[in-house]
Amino acid sequence: MHPSPLVRELERRVGREAVLWRPEDLMLYEYDALSSRRAPDAVVFPTSTEHVVEIMRLANRERVPVVGRGAGTSLSGGPVVAEGGIVVSFARMKKILEIDIENQRARVQPGVVNLDLSLAVADAGYYYAPDPSSQKACTIGGNVAENSGGPHTLAYGVTSQHVLGLEVVLAGGEVIHTGASFWDRPGYDLTGFLVGSEGTLGLVTEITVRLMRRPEAVKTLLAIYNQVGDATRTVAMLTAHGITPAALEMMDGVTLRAVEAATGAGYPTDSAAVLLIEVEGLREAVDEQADIIEQVCRRNQAREVLRARTEEARARLWRGRKNAFGALGRISPSYYVQDGVIPRTRLPEMLDDIERVAQRYGLLIGNIFHAGDGNLHPLILFDSRDPAECERVVEAASEIIAKCAEMGGSITGEHGVGLEKNELMPLIFSPDDLEMMRRLKAAWNPDGLLNPGKVLPSGKMCGELRIQVSMGSGASTSAVNGRLPSRRRERVGSGGGLP
Amino acid sequence: MTTATQGAAAEMAAIVGESRVVTDPAARAGYAVDGETPQCVVYAPSAEQVAAVLRHAADRRLAVIPVRNLTKIGLGQRPRAYDVALSLKEMNQVWYYEPDDLTVSVEPGMKLGDFQHFLSRHNLWLPVDPPGGEKASIGGILAANASGPLRLRYGTARDFTIGMKIATTEGKIVKTGGRVVKNVAGYDLAKLLIGSCGTLGVIVEASFKLFPRPAQRLTFAVAVPALGQARDLRRRIQQSALEPLRILLLAGEAPRLLGPDSGSAGRERALQLWIEAGGSAAVVDRYARALDDLARRCGLTIERLDEEIAAPAWARLCDAPAALAPALPITATLKATLPIAATEEFVGRSEEEAGREGARVAVLAQVGVGVTRLVVLEAERNRLAGLVARLRGAASALGGALVVEQCPWEAKSEIDVWGPPGDDFEMMRKIKAAWDPSGVLSPGRFVGGL
Ligand SMILES: Cc1cc2nc3c(=O)[nH]c(=O)nc-3n(C[C@H](O)[C@H](O)[C@H](O)COP(=O)(O)OP(=O)(O)OC[C@H]3O[C@@H](n4cnc5c(N)ncnc54)[C@H](O)[C@@H]3O)c2cc1C
Repeated sequence: MHPSPLVRELERRVGREAVLWRPEDLMLYEYDALSSRRAPDAVVFPTSTEHVVEIMRLANRERVPVVGRGAGTSLSGGPVVAEGGIVVSFARMKKILEIDIENQRARVQPGVVNLDLSLAVADAGYYYAPDPSSQKACTIGGNVAENSGGPHTLAYGVTSQHVLGLEVVLAGGEVIHTGASFWDRPGYDLTGFLVGSEGTLGLVTEITVRLMRRPEAVKTLLAIYNQVGDATRTVAMLTAHGITPAALEMMDGVTLRAVEAATGAGYPTDSAAVLLIEVEGLREAVDEQADIIEQVCRRNQAREVLRARTEEARARLWRGRKNAFGALGRISPSYYVQDGVIPRTRLPEMLDDIERVAQRYGLLIGNIFHAGDGNLHPLILFDSRDPAECERVVEAASEIIAKCAEMGGSITGEHGVGLEKNELMPLIFSPDDLEMMRRLKAAWNPDGLLNPGKVLPSGKMCGELRIQVSMGSGASTSAVNGRLPSRRRERVGSGGGLP
Repeated sequence: MTTATQGAAAEMAAIVGESRVVTDPAARAGYAVDGETPQCVVYAPSAEQVAAVLRHAADRRLAVIPVRNLTKIGLGQRPRAYDVALSLKEMNQVWYYEPDDLTVSVEPGMKLGDFQHFLSRHNLWLPVDPPGGEKASIGGILAANASGPLRLRYGTARDFTIGMKIATTEGKIVKTGGRVVKNVAGYDLAKLLIGSCGTLGVIVEASFKLFPRPAQRLTFAVAVPALGQARDLRRRIQQSALEPLRILLLAGEAPRLLGPDSGSAGRERALQLWIEAGGSAAVVDRYARALDDLARRCGLTIERLDEEIAAPAWARLCDAPAALAPALPITATLKATLPIAATEEFVGRSEEEAGREGARVAVLAQVGVGVTRLVVLEAERNRLAGLVARLRGAASALGGALVVEQCPWEAKSEIDVWGPPGDDFEMMRKIKAAWDPSGVLSPGRFVGGL
C-alpha cells in the first residue's frame, strides 16, 4: 500500500515521522471516549504553529476537512471524524511555554495534559482550577474546545473563566492572537467566544491561562443517605442557603457499589446515595462551612456524615469519584454517559424521573452528578451486543435530555454537543438562534472545513440523539475496563511506533 | 413632548406609539453623544418593540444608539451617524427569579441600585461595583463590560452571565445560554455581546447566577509612603491565603480628593491602599489580624474603618469621576489594563507623565487584577492627546493597553480612544458584519471604527 498524494504532501510539509496513514494506524483514531464513526484519511502531529498553518493551507487547497484532537477523551464525538479528512493531533505540542507566578498565569501549548500544568506550578503553591475527572489524560486544548468543567468548577468557574488569551490558526491558515496576558483587552471577546466552540472555528495553538493559589485549608465530607431524595434535597437546601462548596458531587447506590468494588474508596455499599462535599479557603471559613453543611445534611436525614481526617483519606474519596465512569464500566459490557443540566432546585424531581425512565425501559442507570451546579451524568448500563437494548438506551437517554430541556435546563453542561447532540439543539434553540450561530460559524469557517458535522444541526434529521452511529461498534465499551483508551492511543501518536 | 410627525420620528411612532417618541430639541439634547444629537428618542417598552425598531432602522439606514442612563455613553469614538436614541428605560422588569436556585433574568433598563435592592430581600447580590454605581443599568454594565474592584474576588459580568436575549438589526430576538449555571450548548454569543458597546445587537434580557452577600464586611486602609511598599504589601497579600473582596491603591490626587474625611494626619499626602474583606465574624477577624501582621512586616500600619465611613467611601472610589465632577474640572477618564505585576510601576509612570503634560491625575489602581483608572484633572485640552499618547506608551511598554473611557468629544478627532487593534481585528470586523450587516448600530464607535 502506498501513501496518497495528500499524505505525501503532508509529509513534505511537516515531516515523514509526523504523519500516520496506514489503515491499522488510522483505526486508532476512529474513536473518542463516546463513540467511533470512521477513520480519518491521515493523522498529523505538528510540533509548531507553523506546521499547523501548513496543514491548514494544504487542507484548503485540497478541500479536505480538518479535525483537531487532544487526548480523545471527549464524550460527545468531538474529535471523531464525521466526513473523513485530516486529524491534527496536538500530542506533540505539549510544552509549557511560560510559567509566570508573579502575574498568576501560564502559557501552554494545546497538548499539555491538564493535570501536568497543575503539577508544574504546585511547588509555587498554585494550580490550574478547571479539573475534569479525566484530567490525568485530557489536554488543555481539548478543555478549551469543550469549555470543560470539573468537580471544582462549581466554585471557581469552568474553563472560559480561566483563559486569558489564545493563539489560533484560522480556517484560511492565518494566525491570530485573541485576548492578551491581561484582562479587558479592547475589542470583542473573541477568546470567550472561541472557548467552547469545539474545534469548529479555528485550531488553537497556544493558550494563556490564569493560575490560582492553592487554598490554605480543605475539608472533605461524605454524607451518606438511605434515600436518594434526601441527598438531592440537601443540594437544593445548600444552594438556597447560599453555601457554595468548592465541590458538591453526588453518586447513587448503583454507582457506589461499582466504585467500591473497583477502587475500595470506602463508600458504603448499602446506601442509596452519597454526597461528596469539599470546602476550601481560609481555615476559619472552612471550619464554619463544614459545620453548617453537616447540619444541613443531617437535617435532610443523612444517615452519617464522615470527614476525611487525613490527606490520604481525602485522596481515596476523590479517587473513587474520579474513576466512577470506569468503575461502572466494569460491571457492564457497555455504558452510555449522558450530560444534561437542570435548575438545582429540581434535582429531586429529576432523579425520580430518571428512575421511572430506567424502569420503563428495563435498564440500569447509575447517577453521578456535579450536583452543586445541577449538572447530571446519568450512566446507562447496557450490552451493545443486544441491538434491541441499544435502541432502548437511545430512547431512554433522549427522554432524559428532553426532560432537562423541558425543565429549562440544557442538553449539555460540559461534554459538548459534538456529533452526538447537534440534532438536539432545536430542543433549546429556536431557528433564529441557530441561524445566528450558523452565520457566526460561517464567518470563521466559511467552507466548513473545520470539524464538519459538529455542534449545529444538519437540518436533515430532526431531534435525534446520534449515539446509535456507534452502537455495536464498541461505543462506550471502549471505556469498559476503566482506563481511558485514548491515552493508550495517543501514546502511539506521540511515541516511537510511527512509520 | 412634541408630537412626532415627520421623518424617522414618524416612522418610529408607528412602531412604539407617538407617546414613546420624543423630538423636543431640549429632550433630544439630553441624549447627545459626543456632540451629536439624535433626530428622536424612542422609548421601547418590550423586546419585540426593540427588535421592530432595529429592523426598521436597518431598512431605512437610520443609525441607532441604545441608551439608558448615559453613565457610560462617553465610551467610544464619535459616532459616524446618529439618528435614533433607543432608550431602554422602560424595560426594567425582573422576568424570572429563582432565589433558591440563585438565578435571575432581568431587563436591561433595570438600574443596578434597584436590582441590588430587589435581591437584598434574599440576601443575594450581583457582585459588581462599576463606574456609574447605583445608576448604572444592567444593559450598560454588560455592553461596556463595566467592572470595579470587586472583580478581584468575583470576576466580571462575563463570569456570571448565564444567558441572554438579544434583539438584532434584522428584527429577530436571539437567545444564547439559558437559566442554568452550567451550559456548553452551542456558541456562547453572550461573550461577544458583553463589552461590545452596543455595536452588535441590543441586549433585551440577561440571566445571571447570583451570589450570597458576605455576612460581614470590613475595610482597612493603609497609608503607604512609597510605591515600593505598596507593591510589597500587595504581593504579600496575594501570596498569603487571604482572598480580599477588593484592593485599591489610591495615588496622585486620589487620596486627598477621595479618601475618607476623617483621615488621620498626614494621610492625604501618602499613597493609600484600601482593602475590603468579607465573610463571617471569625473570617473578618482573621483578616484583621493577618493584614495587621503583613502590613507591619512592610513597615506600615493598618487602620480599620467604620462601616459608615467605608461604605460611602467605596461608592466614591468606584465611581470616582462622578464623585469628583461637581467640584473639579475633569478632563478625561482613562483605564489601563496590565499584567498584575506591572501595575504599581505604571501608577508611578502615570503620575510622571501627567506632570510632564501639566496635568494632575487621581489614580485608582486595582492592584490585584492589573486594572488602573486615571481621572485626569485640569489638563489643557490641546495637551490631552499628548498625555494619552504618553500614557498609552507607558502601558504598552509594560505589556498592557489603555482605553480612554471618557474625554471631551472635541478631542476625539485626535485621540484613538481604543488604541490600535491587533491581528484579530479582521475577525472582529466579520463578527460585526454578521450581527449588523447594514451597520446601523452605534456606527463607528468601537475598536478600529467598527
Ligand atoms: C472518564 C472521563 C471523565 C470525564 N470527566 C469530565 C469532566 O469532569 N468534565 C468535563 O467537562 N469533561 C469530562 N470528560 C470529557 C473530556 O475529558 C473533556 O471534554 C476534555 O476536555 C477533552 O479533552 P481532550 O484533550 O481529550 O480532547 P479531545 O477529546 O481530543 O477533543 C475534544 C474537542 O476538542 C477539539 N480540539 C482538541 N484540541 C484542539 C485544538 N488545539 N484546537 C481546536 N480544537 C481542538 C477536538 O476537535 C474536539 O472537538 C470526561 C471524559 C472521560 C472519558
